[in-house]
Amino acid sequence: MAGRHPMENRWSRRQFIGRAAGGAIAVPSLAAILAACAKPGTTESGGGSAAAVGLARPDNPVELPLNGDPIAASTPIEEGATLQVYNWDAYMYKKVLKAFEEEYGVTIEWTTFNNMEEGIQKLVSGQIQPDVFFPTTDYIARLVESDLIQPLNLELVPNLASNVWQSFSDPGPFYDLGARYTVPYTIYTTGVAYRRDRVDDADASAQGYDLLWNPDYTGEIAYYDSYRDAIGMALVRNGVMDPNTGDPASITAAKDSILEIINDLDGQLRINGTFAKLPEGEFTVSQSWSGDIVGAKWYLPKGTGEDVLGYWYPEGEPGLIGNDTIVIPTTAQSPRLAHEFLNFFLDEQWGYTNFADWNGYQPPFTTIDPDSLIADGVVAPQLNKAVVTEEMFTTGLVQSQLAPEVDQLWLDAWSEIQAGG
Amino acid sequence: MASAEATAEPQGGKRSREDQAAGRGGAWFPRWYWPTFTLPGTLWLVLLFILPFYTVLSVAFGTVEPLFRTPLPVYQPWYWSFGTFDTTLEKFYVSPAIYQEPLIRTFAYVFAASAICLVVGYAVAYYTARYAGRFRVPILLMLVAPFFISYLMRIYAWQSLLQPGGYVDDIWGIFAEPVNWLSGKPVTVILGLVYGYIPFMILPLYGSLDRIEQSMLEAGRDLGASPFHTFRRVTLPLSKPAILAGLVIVSLPMFGDYYTNDLLGSQNTSMLGNLINLAVFQPGQGQEAGSLTIVLMLIVVIPMGYYLRETRRAAERA
Amino acid sequence: MSDVALDPVVDSTPRRPRLFRNPWRKPWGLLLVTLGYLLWSLIPVVIAVVFSFNAGRSRSTWQGFSLRWWTGEPFDALFTDPSLRAAMFQTFRLSIITVLIAVPLGTAFAIGIDRWHGRPARGANFMMLLSFVVPEMILGVSLFLMFTQLIDNLIPLGTTSQILGLATFQMSYSVVIVRARMLSIGPEYEEAALDLGARPGQSLRRVLLPLLSPAILASVAVVFADSVDNFVIVRYLSGTADSEPLSVKIYSAARSSPTPAVNAAATVMLVATITVVLVGYLLYRRFSKGQEPADVGGFAQV
Repeated sequence: MAGRHPMENRWSRRQFIGRAAGGAIAVPSLAAILAACAKPGTTESGGGSAAAVGLARPDNPVELPLNGDPIAASTPIEEGATLQVYNWDAYMYKKVLKAFEEEYGVTIEWTTFNNMEEGIQKLVSGQIQPDVFFPTTDYIARLVESDLIQPLNLELVPNLASNVWQSFSDPGPFYDLGARYTVPYTIYTTGVAYRRDRVDDADASAQGYDLLWNPDYTGEIAYYDSYRDAIGMALVRNGVMDPNTGDPASITAAKDSILEIINDLDGQLRINGTFAKLPEGEFTVSQSWSGDIVGAKWYLPKGTGEDVLGYWYPEGEPGLIGNDTIVIPTTAQSPRLAHEFLNFFLDEQWGYTNFADWNGYQPPFTTIDPDSLIADGVVAPQLNKAVVTEEMFTTGLVQSQLAPEVDQLWLDAWSEIQAGG
Repeated sequence: MASAEATAEPQGGKRSREDQAAGRGGAWFPRWYWPTFTLPGTLWLVLLFILPFYTVLSVAFGTVEPLFRTPLPVYQPWYWSFGTFDTTLEKFYVSPAIYQEPLIRTFAYVFAASAICLVVGYAVAYYTARYAGRFRVPILLMLVAPFFISYLMRIYAWQSLLQPGGYVDDIWGIFAEPVNWLSGKPVTVILGLVYGYIPFMILPLYGSLDRIEQSMLEAGRDLGASPFHTFRRVTLPLSKPAILAGLVIVSLPMFGDYYTNDLLGSQNTSMLGNLINLAVFQPGQGQEAGSLTIVLMLIVVIPMGYYLRETRRAAERA
Repeated sequence: MSDVALDPVVDSTPRRPRLFRNPWRKPWGLLLVTLGYLLWSLIPVVIAVVFSFNAGRSRSTWQGFSLRWWTGEPFDALFTDPSLRAAMFQTFRLSIITVLIAVPLGTAFAIGIDRWHGRPARGANFMMLLSFVVPEMILGVSLFLMFTQLIDNLIPLGTTSQILGLATFQMSYSVVIVRARMLSIGPEYEEAALDLGARPGQSLRRVLLPLLSPAILASVAVVFADSVDNFVIVRYLSGTADSEPLSVKIYSAARSSPTPAVNAAATVMLVATITVVLVGYLLYRRFSKGQEPADVGGFAQV
């Protein structure tokens, strides 16, 4: 039993807690010890099902195993419930939430996280038990494997089939074939936002990613403070066209590139660079999700025209692209109402209102047509590259789940960045 | 905060009171009577102060679950493994020593900020106690006023003052090139720290200076000492305990501060507190969060011990 | 510091007016530093309040007066955004309950530790003082790990755990304040009561507690104000949205997309805290009348 750690191989904390309940310091039960005797690391590499079917990639789509059955379509809607929504800050239009509250006579409580890691961490620890959660796609397999999200009953989400790009329901996205657990919330590309009153469009196109590394903008550069997005773009900028790479040298180079922004170019790592600070004029260039630059118009000071906002995204070569999802955690108190919530945000009208009047992140609706978005003034003409189309997904670079040892490389690089190098 | 020191200064003379407690007091009260009063508070602290710290050890010396790599604490010390803790420690001194700079920064910022707190705080406290006259009460009110609005709110207000195009920029711009104060300038972070903690320095100093009798100073002058001399020989020694208490009280929380830098600085001004805060919410870094917390504890244990010892000494002297 | 006191006769020597002859002559530098400091410390507070009335979204450029962020905006003003209101209520709820727990526990502890001597008493006192000086960050992370790991969500993050954490952190304040008062009263009054035949419970209720009331009130005000201000502990221990107090909301807002509505909320808190402290001060003056000179300075010290 040398080197047995009572919890070395437990991936289900709930099981362990079940055994140790009542006396957390008690010596673990026989079952726990036996389980712990398995050779350390056997369940670690790649993590369970992911190891079996490989990590989900666009060229390796996975069908997630079903954890039990979805709720029955006949389940009554929980009346007067409080729906716990766990999402990014400023990522949903309060008016739409209010409309949902009124339509169903319920209360919504909206809790936010600052980055995906914090969101996952609190969910996994069970500290937050939401009815609806908005994860990025790279966490889906792990959420399923640890039984943290429940399968959907798509009969209760008819809008998925009727309003959303077909690829999201049939065959379904690469990370969740058949849309067993997820519906898409928004789609976005990751490019570079810039102030058109300080950088002209032709110059921006010529510079591309190097906008963010241009000493001319020293002190006026913003970069996202989320490790996958930050390191991901630095990789692509350095010519590594795989935002999920496990190559240590590439990761180190990407890390050094980001440290260059921080230390040599006085740049700042922050979440609000594009949507809040660029329009206010604090930054000239910023790493930008397409939705952030579309939504940035709401933050323009009085008297500043929307035409100062520019967005660059690579043409002729693949760029970073992705989508966020909505899921229903296993612990949801009102799973039926949660299904309604998913359906509500995939509603042609409400989903569009949420996008057009508030957050700028586009839902993958078949009814949304790039030209009419510009004609309707939702997207300024010069931001046409910020509109996402279904075709872009066929060639785009998608951030997806990393193997644990690769993830550790990324996180180590990130620690070093956070420590200021 | 000044009263931490006051706790330790029984005016009544300790010996005589102890005699009373043991003698006549004992007749009135059963042995268990007074300990019972302390029992709820003591139990509370054991459960919610000592036990949590044991959890930190269990997390730091524990393991992680493989999927999300959240920490799995190990509560039995005989199963503890120190691998992660060692790895974390090595980040401070084994090349590339990525945590070395934040550590040095932490000490440098805390040192600079405490020093500024002391100099400015002493001047303000001295003026208020000695020269403020009838303005003393209004000044005191203004000194405590910042306590009434959330620290976060005040730092947030500084953020808006300091951002490009803010008022600081406007004024600074008259004299010099505009500076991007919020892009990780040590001076911004240090002044932010001073701003946040200086009231904790001023109030004990004021309390102490206020208690120095006017007559003591006059005695000094009567004996021919210059004002400077009086200050050095009378005022300064008498306020020394308050200076030390103030320094400890402002510097201890600074060591764990992360939000000042979060709102006013950047990665290249990040401190130990920032590393801990990031690790707490980063998957796979839970153990590191625990390990770094232990490191922080080791750092502050010396000033804390010093403070507690001085408190006890002051009690014994009185 | 009473040993410093000299013969009071010296105090009334005719030389005294010399100090007042020209009080502004010497400390010009000190005066400047003091005024500069006061400006420096108060301007951000004023700015925070003033910008809650800004007509624009900016919190750094004044765009005219408006109540937009108090009532005007349909979803984002203080009185129309339920999450901001909830955050304010949460702040008050936490602070009030913390006072109700920490002050009685701390007072009892201070009384007991003052009268109880011996090794265990020293141990308990040491632990209490340790909790007084330990950086909040350490306590916050430790409690977070304990609530999430050791007792695994037995007490979920949120109001309950926040109160437990705050009370732990604040208890030592009231201990320190009440203890200081205990030391200055000494045991004589109580002994007199006991000599006159009062039972221990009576002497506690009728003699000791009334004598301690100014200190108890002071600790109520301090614990309340400091709980309202707390950020580190309440953030680590907050769970769902309804358990996030205002300080946490301000932090999140400052890092994403702050609006002047946050300033409005902070203004309300400012007024509330000042009210509580002012009421506390007035009561303090009242209770401590005739016992010892109580000026703002004495109050401020705690």
